[in-house]
Amino acid sequence: MMTTEELRKLKADKVVDARGTACPGPLLAVKQAIADVPDGGIMEILSSDEGTKKDVPRWAEKRGYQYLGDFEESGYFTIYLKK
Amino acid sequence: MEKKKLCLALYTGSVDKLTAAGVILGGAAAEDMDVEIFVLLQAAFAFKKENAMFNDRVAEITDKKDEFLASLKRLGTPHWTEAFRKAKGLTSVKIHICGFAGKVWYGEKLDDFIDLADDICGIAQYIQTAEVADLDLFI
Repeated sequence: MMTTEELRKLKADKVVDARGTACPGPLLAVKQAIADVPDGGIMEILSSDEGTKKDVPRWAEKRGYQYLGDFEESGYFTIYLKK
Repeated sequence: MEKKKLCLALYTGSVDKLTAAGVILGGAAAEDMDVEIFVLLQAAFAFKKENAMFNDRVAEITDKKDEFLASLKRLGTPHWTEAFRKAKGLTSVKIHICGFAGKVWYGEKLDDFIDLADDICGIAQYIQTAEVADLDLFI
């Protein structure tokens, strides 16, 4: 798992802004957008839904993607995946 | 990898339970499950063209209905029909209207129901689908 400082330095290949949507909106947005991320690329997910923090790592692990970590600021979560 | 199958017996005609079904469908879509929904009795009422967007009945905590509906709006929760439609766009979701249920609500033809419905079926199809499903739910 990467530290918040390390996560902040990542350059995302795709940003999914799912703030303001409730479960399962953020997860479905991630599923839809993952095709736009190249293999080995980074996806940054912004979500104000706390459940997303648990759903995304589970979903990613099952598909062989790597959950890199997350941090919270200003009322939302930023989650990182590596495809 | 073979896809897992969700069989959903959808009995309810109430927006609270239909909204819950929409959330579960979203989860199934995220997991790439094949979904088959069997629209039974009261759900057939909700699937009728003239009812789908206007039916706002709730099954539980009925004294808080206004608060519940306001919260759905506040949270940006899509109408259950939109949640179902989105799931259909993301994974295989087949929606079967029970022939008997349709007739109860004067729905004789597929065209009497919203365009989410794929066909009208008999109970044997539900039983056979439920027999082999990885997950079988009744709502």
